[in-house]
Amino acid sequence: MATRRDVLKRIAAGATTSLIGPALLGPAAKAQVTSEGVWKTTGSHWGAIKALIKGGQVVDVRPIDEDPNPTDMINGIKGLIYSPSRIRYPMVRADWLDNRERADRTTRGDNRYIRITWDQALDLLYEELERIQTTYGSSGLYAGATGWRATGQFHSCINHMNRAVTMHGPYIKKVGDYSTGAGQTILPYVLGSTEVYAQGTSWPLILENTKTLVFWASDPVKNLQVGWQCETHESLEYFDTLREKIAKGEIKVISIDPVRSKTQNHINCEQLYINPMTDVAMMLAVAHVLYTEELYDKAFIDIYALGFDRFIDYVMGRDDEGIERTPEWAADICGVAPDMIRDFARLIASDRTQFMFGWSVQRQQHGEQPYWMGAVLAAMLGQIGLPGGGISYSHHYSSVGVSTSGATMPGAFPLNLDLGKTPEHDANFGEFSPVIPTTRWIDALLNPGAKIQYNGNEVTLPDLKMAVFVGNNPFHHHQDRNKMRQAIRNLETIVAVDYTWSATCRHADLVLPGCTQFERNDLDMYGSYANSGVLAMHRLVDPLFQSRPDFDIFAALTERFGRREEYTRGMREMEWIETLYNECRDANAGKFEMPEFADFWDEGLIRFPRGEHWVRHAAFREDPEINALGTPSGFIEISSRTIEKFGYDDCGAHPKWMEKLERSHGGPGSEKYPIWLQSCHPDQRLHSQMCDSEPYRATYSVQGREPIWMSPQDAEQRGLGDGDLVRVFNDRGQLLAGVRLSDNFPPGVARIHEGAWYGPEDATIGALDTYGDPNTLTMDIGASKLSQATSANTCLVQIEEFEGDAPAVTAFGGPTEVVF
Amino acid sequence: MSLKSTLAVFWRTLSSPPATISLGVLTFGGFITGIIFWGGFNTAMEFTNTEDFCIYCHEMEDNVYAELQETVHWENRTGVRATCPDCHVPHEWTNKVARKMQASKEVWGKVFGTINTPEKFEAKRDELARHEWARLEANGSLECRNCHDYDSMDWAAMSDEAVYYMRPAAELNTGCINCHKGIAHHLPQSSGESPVLVVLESKAVTDLEEGQQYFAIDAVELFEDEALTQTAGSLELGAPVEVLARSGNKMQIRLAAWRKEKGFGRVLYHDFGLNMRKAVLNKDTATNAAIVHASETRNDDNTGLDWSEVTVDLWAVSRGFVKDEQVLWDVAAESYASDCSTCHAQPDPEHFSANAWPAMFNGMVGFTNFDEAESKLVLTYLQKHSSDFVEAH
Repeated sequence: MATRRDVLKRIAAGATTSLIGPALLGPAAKAQVTSEGVWKTTGSHWGAIKALIKGGQVVDVRPIDEDPNPTDMINGIKGLIYSPSRIRYPMVRADWLDNRERADRTTRGDNRYIRITWDQALDLLYEELERIQTTYGSSGLYAGATGWRATGQFHSCINHMNRAVTMHGPYIKKVGDYSTGAGQTILPYVLGSTEVYAQGTSWPLILENTKTLVFWASDPVKNLQVGWQCETHESLEYFDTLREKIAKGEIKVISIDPVRSKTQNHINCEQLYINPMTDVAMMLAVAHVLYTEELYDKAFIDIYALGFDRFIDYVMGRDDEGIERTPEWAADICGVAPDMIRDFARLIASDRTQFMFGWSVQRQQHGEQPYWMGAVLAAMLGQIGLPGGGISYSHHYSSVGVSTSGATMPGAFPLNLDLGKTPEHDANFGEFSPVIPTTRWIDALLNPGAKIQYNGNEVTLPDLKMAVFVGNNPFHHHQDRNKMRQAIRNLETIVAVDYTWSATCRHADLVLPGCTQFERNDLDMYGSYANSGVLAMHRLVDPLFQSRPDFDIFAALTERFGRREEYTRGMREMEWIETLYNECRDANAGKFEMPEFADFWDEGLIRFPRGEHWVRHAAFREDPEINALGTPSGFIEISSRTIEKFGYDDCGAHPKWMEKLERSHGGPGSEKYPIWLQSCHPDQRLHSQMCDSEPYRATYSVQGREPIWMSPQDAEQRGLGDGDLVRVFNDRGQLLAGVRLSDNFPPGVARIHEGAWYGPEDATIGALDTYGDPNTLTMDIGASKLSQATSANTCLVQIEEFEGDAPAVTAFGGPTEVVF
Repeated sequence: MSLKSTLAVFWRTLSSPPATISLGVLTFGGFITGIIFWGGFNTAMEFTNTEDFCIYCHEMEDNVYAELQETVHWENRTGVRATCPDCHVPHEWTNKVARKMQASKEVWGKVFGTINTPEKFEAKRDELARHEWARLEANGSLECRNCHDYDSMDWAAMSDEAVYYMRPAAELNTGCINCHKGIAHHLPQSSGESPVLVVLESKAVTDLEEGQQYFAIDAVELFEDEALTQTAGSLELGAPVEVLARSGNKMQIRLAAWRKEKGFGRVLYHDFGLNMRKAVLNKDTATNAAIVHASETRNDDNTGLDWSEVTVDLWAVSRGFVKDEQVLWDVAAESYASDCSTCHAQPDPEHFSANAWPAMFNGMVGFTNFDEAESKLVLTYLQKHSSDFVEAH
């Protein structure tokens, strides 16, 4: 339905002074009929693909020809579609069907389910929503958690679930996310933007101007394989250029990381080893050197920043703590020799330096501090806003650094209710907060009504009774499985919609099979930031088994309270896709000519020319008064009075070194559990997506278990060899994993990639995880009272050889079907 | 006989006094002739009032007439159809004649070929459309209302969305064309403006009154002097101003604001310690104490910066304002809800403070399709509806 504003937008959209050349059609994306079958094109977080369809089956999947750096994970897509873990039918937990809210909740996770019909399933969902709204009001329902939904602007399950469930009644929503919670909360106070999801300085300008490039806890070559929208892999080409420039000695690149990263090995750069979780100690010492040796940019600090003196008093020991943060002081903590710290400080001050921070370093206790301190160092160097200088927190993500085309991208299926529409049930949150920090929902289940501090506000945790998860797997991304298992016993009803039996589905009462994105038509942005094009996503095969698109599922739900027509706006899949395309085409008219829908759909991919190079923070540097930052003062805040006034003991007036609850390499708890377990983003999955792809998982699993990467020294000490089965444990939990030895890992550091599926031996709390989900072991505390973000990377473990008969892996495959 | 000598004979005959015809015959003859001419005139008027005449020119037939055929005014459920003159020719006689005289210009265009190709027509479309819009705006969309009447609308039969838009329009008796441009013909492609500005302009007030408060819907340019020769800066979208004096299409306005005592003080903010922009001044204006009258200075405990309260009297063209600021927020709320829910559920405006919103907004705006004006409008809306202004829930 075109609104009045759409029409008016169309008037103005035609307006432009200079016409940019027409969009280019990508003929390689066109469907092709060959003797072997039909090649069809679609997209994914892993990039655009073409798939060979034969006899109604996907028999081959390849990247499209335009993809300059396709990811290996494309080889996992076929196994994802035809996984034995696919949800085939709507199912309910055995005891729950008869007893509902009075069912035994201690058996959640025992994987016993009963098959029901779609009509029964949707009636149950509607009845439960109705019961919760009527009995407990809005605060009883948690439907706000969302995750990395499958790509596609129309079928995005986040939008479908939100629109349909909101149509019925309001619910508790979340703020923040698991990926960047601490970063996106602290940086607005410091640099005036969340930064973590912002477009960054264009790579060509970095390659041209940067003399020293510092990857601080960042592994872009690993993480650029996936994107939030259809990934183009366009920024990976710059890493090849970087490798050449390093080889020629034209640029110095340093990776500050306890581990030799995939990026370091790919571009062959230097490593500066640092003890885990001690980055802030080293950074403070670098600031000490810059200050005492007068290597910092005083003029920049005067014009562009506030609160420097206060911070320097802390660095020089002229405050309450009275500790001078010298390289010698830091060396004991961070494991970097004093002279190396001095050399590093002098190097970065000597010429143009660009910092690039990854995200895992802020997923720890006090995760705000390294990000704040990084900004302080960048401010002291005075290069923020210069091409190839300053600081970035996003260049490892979704091809940030590829300049934006300027084209308007297609919109999405509406997440909100249409104008003037209201839910069936009125909002009724009682004394509870309607929005909670996303990682605190388990605490809410354990302590409903408790008051917690969050970002300057007091949040009253709600008394949740029902949760709805759609295309979202909290039994992967939340910390401390055993605490979770205890907590969810306080939920009367858990509903999960997914295409695969994730651990979240296995702990749900009602499970509905959505289809994969490869079983429906859609369209997507090509490139999350560069707006490189618009991609047609052709259905490869029909939905498998009894699975359905989320659109059909939620349209059928809204039908149960008489609002289907409003939900769908009377349009079907292809009408929606054509409408979204035409709105995009109209908005681009006069700027970027796009073909008629039929031609677009036939050709598959429209490309737009790359935009102009761009420098982050340049406008602020050019005129800090007019282009003020979004901080409370408009300037870079080296110290923040706003945060100070919150009065938190774990995030104060300026960045500080604070000891962690547990820390390896001589830190607290390291005598009992000496090994730091990092659970960074996987190399061969997208979070937990694709772990269920059997042939692909077989390429990296060890004795059928998730690999734990560790140093030869730690292995030798424990009598372990590559390929051994080990038990990894601490006071919070235990898991089985397969040893992979690598020189990339120093002593005291081990890695299990997050997203490994949780496969407990049985439904008991404390059960051994048979596959190797690292969040069986991680700590579930807020990073601080400021962000309440995840602290997954503050985690110590012990590793020992597993003796006896190893239990079978329970994480994959369907449930045990109970038949009456 | 040459044409010239024939005309000379004719003129002589006309100019001679009558010798053989009675006064009665003359008078009667004149009466009859008058009837014939009047009838002819009216016949001509009637003929030029038919669609056949309108599309006699291929410029009309090939362009606007063909476009009409795609619309509901050509073909619909009930078979009622609007013809060209129904909308484009006033039904009342004096206006009709006036419109006809105007139309001679279009005939001129036909004869001299200013719109005789699709490209030329397209190039002229904006100007032609603006003439018609201006006429319909001036008469309150009279020709539309010959058929469509607010009083006869059955609100219950409308969709909720239609009611949402139509109700306020009915209450203000807004002319139809203000919102429904492009309903029968294609829209021109040359307005050069931001979509939200086009929407807001349709709601702008034309007659600003002294002593009243108005809200800027555009980056209205400011001047130091009444002659509008010395530029002083520009207003931000949503900035409230008080009209001190009117002079033709110009007016003197007063800005009451606060500014930071760091830099040149070029940015004027809504209130003490609040990073909501009201106006941006040029350096010369901002540093001219004769124009910017500073009074109280206070220290902001949240940042350590000094702020001072200022009043600034400046001149502007009296165009680009609305009386009711809600007009701005309705447009902004719609933009925010649709553009910021593509990837996730958008946070409620009151979830963050006015000073926190710029940072949250800056971090995500790259994912939206907002242009500069829409960005500014939405950010101001979020700040204005933030926890500083709405009781947090």
